[in-house]
Amino acid sequence: MLCYNCGASLTEHDFCTNCGAEVGVYKKIMSSANLFYNEGLDRAGVRDLTGAITALRQCLKMNKNHVDARNLLGLVYFEMGEYVAALSEWVISKNLRPNKNIADDYLNMMQSNPSRLDTISQTIKKYNQALSYCYQGSYDLAIIQLKKVVSLNPKHVQGRQLLALLYLNNEQWEDARKELERCRKIDVNNTITLRYLKEADAVLDIEEDFSTPTKKKSITDTITYRRGNDTIIQPLNGKENKLPSTIINIVMGIIIGIAVACLLVLPARISAAGEESDAKIKEIGEQLDEKNSTINSLEQEKNSLTAKVEKLDNELATYTGEGGTISSMDNLLNAVMAYLSDPEDTSTVAGYLDLIDEGFVDTSTETFREVYYMIRTRIGGTVGSTYFEEGMHAYQNEQYDEAIENLSKAYAYDNTNVDALYNLANAYRKSGDNVNAIANYQTLVDNYPDTELATRAQSFLNELVVE
Amino acid sequence: MINFEEELKKFHPSLEIEEATDAIYNQDMTDMADLLVNLIREGKSADHPQESL
Repeated sequence: MLCYNCGASLTEHDFCTNCGAEVGVYKKIMSSANLFYNEGLDRAGVRDLTGAITALRQCLKMNKNHVDARNLLGLVYFEMGEYVAALSEWVISKNLRPNKNIADDYLNMMQSNPSRLDTISQTIKKYNQALSYCYQGSYDLAIIQLKKVVSLNPKHVQGRQLLALLYLNNEQWEDARKELERCRKIDVNNTITLRYLKEADAVLDIEEDFSTPTKKKSITDTITYRRGNDTIIQPLNGKENKLPSTIINIVMGIIIGIAVACLLVLPARISAAGEESDAKIKEIGEQLDEKNSTINSLEQEKNSLTAKVEKLDNELATYTGEGGTISSMDNLLNAVMAYLSDPEDTSTVAGYLDLIDEGFVDTSTETFREVYYMIRTRIGGTVGSTYFEEGMHAYQNEQYDEAIENLSKAYAYDNTNVDALYNLANAYRKSGDNVNAIANYQTLVDNYPDTELATRAQSFLNELVVE
Repeated sequence: MINFEEELKKFHPSLEIEEATDAIYNQDMTDMADLLVNLIREGKSADHPQESL
């Protein structure tokens, strides 16, 4: 404690040891201020905010420089929703003690959040507007505004009190009591709150006393009150016996959910899954058809290629195989070479010519045929005689197969050799080949009709035809 | 029974944030210590009136 006159520290004496000023009363005033501060602190601690405000204001009346009391008063105002009053106290406190002052933090908290400051400003404006509506008699509009106020700032005690007063005026006792109970939670010993609450409780108690027993029971179970045009029925002891009903509700909910899933969701899901699988099957079927068609076309292609290969093989065989073009050409060339080397060596030339297929000669080129027949004509007489002799020798020895081979060649080289043809037919007949025998006899009869051999051939022909 | 009209008169408009500065400046900051000091000083000046030249 400092001397009001010189600023020196005071001692236990009633005068200043520095300047001699009388400080007895001054010290008592300072002590009283501290007592009020302590009382205010105690009341704030038990949420007696109104009592705390009274005590702290008393303290500040004693000692305006009591920074702690001023800061606490600001906090109490803030808690009650009196923001401007709170700000005022903190600003003054900050001016009194610029450094190491907690008010600095409070002010920073307020100023650092512009949206919060805006909300506070809106709350104050709406409260003043509601009050204005009250003065004008527009109580419904005032209630609407005050509901907005308490939703923006649930700790706005004056707003709730005014709202409760309006409810009391409208005889909405339960609503009033609800608001007042909330006020009491913020400020437990507010005389206005307590007075209004007493009024509301008194009316509600009278209503309960006059209610019928059944009604009483229903009142104990529920609270019915009006909010605007709506009547709201709220269970009083809803929390009691809530657990079993909650469990039952959950179980029922699960059962209903499963039933709904089975009845509605599951078929839809099954149907969707079925459609999906159908679509997949269809897709797979289409792919299968496509692949089958590809396989068919490939098989057809393969068949056509195989046929082509076979055809080409055959063509190649006609060129390269035995009796083919190349072989026949070689044989003809060899025959020509042999003939040019030694025209007398007819057997060698004939050997080469015999290797050439008669069928091929007929289908070969004209040049080939000319060369073939020219060589054959040139050696034909000699070769034909040789084959005829060998054939007759075999015939006489009853070697008919060899006879047939040689006599055929003899007639082929010399088709004027009627004896060769006749004996060839006989050889066939004796070997049992009547068909070829008849054919050769018939050739003889047709080509040499007026000969003796033709007469004989005709008789054999008649015999064979009869057989 | 509560008189609604009378009760309504007890509610006053809140100061808006823009009016906070005025509220601070207009606040009566005189406390009992100030009064005491003034009283003492006035008492002293009465006991020892300033001598006229």
